[in-house]
Amino acid sequence: MDVYEGLEGEKVLNLSRLNLDNLDLDDVGEERKRDTQQLFLVYNRFIMLPGSICHFSNLVFLDISCNRLAFICEDILRLSKLKTLVAKNNRLDEFSLPKDFGTMSLEVLNFSGNRFEEFPSEFLNLQRLQSLSLGGNRLKSIPAEIEQLTSLELLYLGGNSITSIPPELANLPYLSYLVLCDNRIQSIPPQLAQMNSLRSLSLHNNLLTYLPREILSLFQLQELSLRGNPLVVRFVKDMTYDPPSLLELAGRTVKSRNLPYKPEDLPGNLVRYLDLASKCPNPKCGGVYFDSCVRHIKFVDFCGKYRLPLMHYLCSPECSSPCSSNPQSDADSEDESSVPAHRMQKVLLG
Amino acid sequence: MEQTEVMKPETLNDLIKVLHQIFSSDTVNVEEVQNLMESYESKPEEWMEYAQFDKFRYTRNLVDEGNGKFNLMILCWGEGHGSSIHDHTDSHCFMKLLQGQLKETLFEWPDHKINGGMTKKSERVLQENQCAYIHDSIGLHRVENVSHTEPAVSLHLYSPQFDQCNTFDQRTGHRNTVKMTFWSKYGERTPFTYYCGKHIVKVALCVQ
Repeated sequence: MDVYEGLEGEKVLNLSRLNLDNLDLDDVGEERKRDTQQLFLVYNRFIMLPGSICHFSNLVFLDISCNRLAFICEDILRLSKLKTLVAKNNRLDEFSLPKDFGTMSLEVLNFSGNRFEEFPSEFLNLQRLQSLSLGGNRLKSIPAEIEQLTSLELLYLGGNSITSIPPELANLPYLSYLVLCDNRIQSIPPQLAQMNSLRSLSLHNNLLTYLPREILSLFQLQELSLRGNPLVVRFVKDMTYDPPSLLELAGRTVKSRNLPYKPEDLPGNLVRYLDLASKCPNPKCGGVYFDSCVRHIKFVDFCGKYRLPLMHYLCSPECSSPCSSNPQSDADSEDESSVPAHRMQKVLLG
Repeated sequence: MEQTEVMKPETLNDLIKVLHQIFSSDTVNVEEVQNLMESYESKPEEWMEYAQFDKFRYTRNLVDEGNGKFNLMILCWGEGHGSSIHDHTDSHCFMKLLQGQLKETLFEWPDHKINGGMTKKSERVLQENQCAYIHDSIGLHRVENVSHTEPAVSLHLYSPQFDQCNTFDQRTGHRNTVKMTFWSKYGERTPFTYYCGKHIVKVALCVQ
């Protein structure tokens, strides 16, 4: 939602709904061109961003939604003060942007309702970008390089064809509003649990069957929508377990017994392997695992209201999940592991 | 004459005036109110001051308190914003689209004898200026802005007034009572209201 401060008089120029396909500025005085900070060209017939637009040298806000834009020319780069660009409902795709688009100081970008099939690489250099919307496009994935958008606070990707979320998304330090509804996401990377800045997470209408247990640690989360997912409702016994390899057993021993080693002692690939150890959540075990683990679905009460299936990993079938000495009791809701009520203000599950 | 002729209100203030007249009596003629609200043609300049959006969720903005007989409010739905399934505490509820579109999904009241999810009755997408009506006797509903590009604004009338309702989990039919608050009143942003219930703490809770 691009809420802007309405400016009075000469600073706003509204040329919407005028059937324009070119921007003839002969009737616009020099002073007006200089003073205009907000320009609306909504509901016209532009196929390209008109080059004459760069005459608005002090433009801060441009809305060219609901046209027929297939291409944005390099002239836009001359709008050095442009902070907000809204171009919803056009015909833009990842080939439509000028090469140096990433050098602009844009803070708000709304390209929803276009034809992007891939995340435009030009976006990934927009260091000042705070709000990005690509809702209602044709994206199939989110690039790991999204972590480069370090100023991002709002990311709207609802209504695409995204199948998975890169763990690098969790590296965005200020992301507070993340919308991934109406996609084809099957699982959430546990790294998302590190996103302490997240206030609202929209995941409705996807293909999630469970959530990672770590999601409980998102203590700042106020809104979570999960409806329209095929969430597991009954206890599922999923104890597929491949016996650990010799490498895994050796790695487990080194880690759990804290055997000292220096990087010079081992080949580089083994040092990296040892770094991948994950701690078994079973408090009685205290062990680690690498590739060989047991997936375990456990139901957790959310705020005393909803039972959510959460997934976590145990290092062996003999281990049991934390807070539960009897694996059979996982079939019922666990009060001990319920999320404190004040943690989750509103879970839009149903 | 049984039924008074409904004059088409030209402005929002006209609409409010006529609503005050209609609700001065003790009985509500649902069809009359629905037709009246539908006949007002939305003019954004008349309601823009009440249309205050929040980026995280939909907002409830009080417009008029109807001499205690009804609440008239404007709800602002950002892209993708939706409500939970809820009831209306035995009150009449009218919902008119001022801008954009809203999808309304009707549900049967949960039947505890039946295991499994709540039964969907029907769904429709309400267009600009259309006015829908619901009451607990009809069922429950979920309202959502399913657009990923357009925000939506709706005008709601509730009579009698109520400030709490039940929300329902679609998968289980489990219900929770929730208190409702306003994001703004008469165009003024109203501060957060904290409510410490037994299970729930809400921050500027907005449940329709």
